[in-house]
Amino acid sequence: MEALDQSLSPECRVPGSKLYTLARLKAVKAALKEKRPIHVLSIGSSSAGLGASASYPVKLENALEQALPDVQVEVEARGLPGEVASGAGERLRSMVAEMEPDLVVWQVGTNDALARVDIEAFGEALDESVQWVKSHGIDIVLIDPVFTESLADDAYYTQMVRTVQEVARREAVPLVHRYAAMRFLSTQRTTEAHMLGRHFRLNDLGLRCMAEHATRAITLSLLQPESAKEGMKDGIKDPGKGDAVTADHATSDTSKTDPAQTGTPGPSPVPKQP
Amino acid sequence: MREPNAIDFWRGFALVTIFINHIPGNFFERYTFSQYGISDAAELFVFLAGWSIGLATRGRDGLPEPRLTTVLRLLSRTIEVYRAQITIMALALAMIAGCALYLDNPLILEWHNAGGFFADPIQTMVGVVLLTHQLGFFNILPLYVVLIAIAPAVVLIGRVSRALLLALSLSLYGASLVFEWNFPSWPGEGDWFFNPLCWQLLLVLGFLSNEATRESERLQRLWRRLMPLGIVIVAVGVVLAVLELRPDPMLAPEPRLVFTFDKTYLSPARLVHFCGMVLAFQGVFALIAPHVGRLARFLSGLGRNSLAVFSMGSLLSLAGQFVRFQTGGGIFVDISVVGSGLIALGFTAWFVEWRSRRPRPTRKAPDAASPADAPSSSPSA
Repeated sequence: MEALDQSLSPECRVPGSKLYTLARLKAVKAALKEKRPIHVLSIGSSSAGLGASASYPVKLENALEQALPDVQVEVEARGLPGEVASGAGERLRSMVAEMEPDLVVWQVGTNDALARVDIEAFGEALDESVQWVKSHGIDIVLIDPVFTESLADDAYYTQMVRTVQEVARREAVPLVHRYAAMRFLSTQRTTEAHMLGRHFRLNDLGLRCMAEHATRAITLSLLQPESAKEGMKDGIKDPGKGDAVTADHATSDTSKTDPAQTGTPGPSPVPKQP
Repeated sequence: MREPNAIDFWRGFALVTIFINHIPGNFFERYTFSQYGISDAAELFVFLAGWSIGLATRGRDGLPEPRLTTVLRLLSRTIEVYRAQITIMALALAMIAGCALYLDNPLILEWHNAGGFFADPIQTMVGVVLLTHQLGFFNILPLYVVLIAIAPAVVLIGRVSRALLLALSLSLYGASLVFEWNFPSWPGEGDWFFNPLCWQLLLVLGFLSNEATRESERLQRLWRRLMPLGIVIVAVGVVLAVLELRPDPMLAPEPRLVFTFDKTYLSPARLVHFCGMVLAFQGVFALIAPHVGRLARFLSGLGRNSLAVFSMGSLLSLAGQFVRFQTGGGIFVDISVVGSGLIALGFTAWFVEWRSRRPRPTRKAPDAASPADAPSSSPSA
């Protein structure tokens, strides 16, 4: 069995391949080089930016600042009402235009899945929105929908999750496999109980871990080489046309230079130019 | 109970459209007018609210009622709308929580901005009563509370000078667009979905249109002559909506919101499109009413009882979303969900009127029964 990612909190540990697909993040890298603070716009159902310190956006900010020492990270969070398939993409554009972030972290698919929108329309609209964000020189990371056992055999829902993955692959943007990670966590034995039953326990755990998982995908994506050529030099296999590198390759190759992995404050995660 | 009329009819029409649009993904959604233009039923609803305020604050003789009466009437209406919003929020959150428990499915807790409430109830509960925590689809009434709360000022300034009222309203609208002023959300970050500082303009326009047309024959003729312009605007709206042509907010020059199609800030494009709709459809009710008596009666009934119908509609569309989610949707589910919803809305309107018609049991001597028990015939704001 593949080893668990030891850089994560014990209860959130998941093998790398179940956790992320990596791709390059040019805008964030540029901000790091210029030693600017990184502006992150976190969008999605549990991203309403709650005041409590335990909430996801606050955790994301803390986790990113821990993983990127000496870098200031500012996370702005917004809920995104409505479905991507019918107009939420338009609101996303307004928000991005208003805040002009370096990076958008988009937890996507929940509202569309709840409305059972046409999956093809969802995929197209999501693809368009991702393209739009990229076309303005802004990085984007997608997070796919939650895993919950009552929908484990729901063909529509799993198709939805696959569609998010396909769009991430096609557009070569990093993806946090929230679904796969939670499914993995659901198989782990635990003594922790939840008064509403184990599905709700898993949901809480998923929320607790999401910031760590997203941070891991972002920091490892920052270690991606600038271009395919350099990738070959660095010894990282670049699969064909796409920029996306599957997580298990990336983790083995980058573990030495990754500050988050060793837990000691390392150098800035921008790879040195040859 | 007043006879079917254009205002109640279009209000009922807006309520039905909002009900259908609030069950996203359903079959009938693509046949609502919201899909064929830049503005939608929300604009219509707010404009007609302004129009009705003008009617409600005049006596039967058409003369303005005393100022204090107007202030108290609108204050009482504000409380009613606020009470409705708190009630439907409580019921909606309970429906979401109950549904998640019953289906053993925590995904439902993340329904359109509800996640915040369940993750962080201490602060969010305060946000709910302050109207700064809003659920998706439950964000029109908070706007309405603010608009009715400022309505006394609108009416009283309007009685002094209509030009002054319009100038003040336009300045506030313009400044909010340029400086991106909005009411904040709390505890979640961000702003209100419907920005009251911008949407107040529609209320004022509705109020002023009613005030101005009631007196001036010439103005009425002018409206009619502008109908072709309205039709052109509507046609352009259809083309833009169908081809999905809209400005890219990142490329729009500053002040950005003046040029984009933004719902929150009621950007000028939406406003112009809505005014075009009013001009184009101003005569439609008179034209079709004789031929669609039942429909006119049904929609007018909904419009007369708009607050109750809107509140029930919000809850029914939420229930409809859950039914569609759990059954997987499909045309038969959509027909039953929308069909039974419309029947329930019709019943709501009928029931509200039945309740107000019924003589209430009173402990006073029979001869002391107050005439206040008689149904109010003045249109509600």
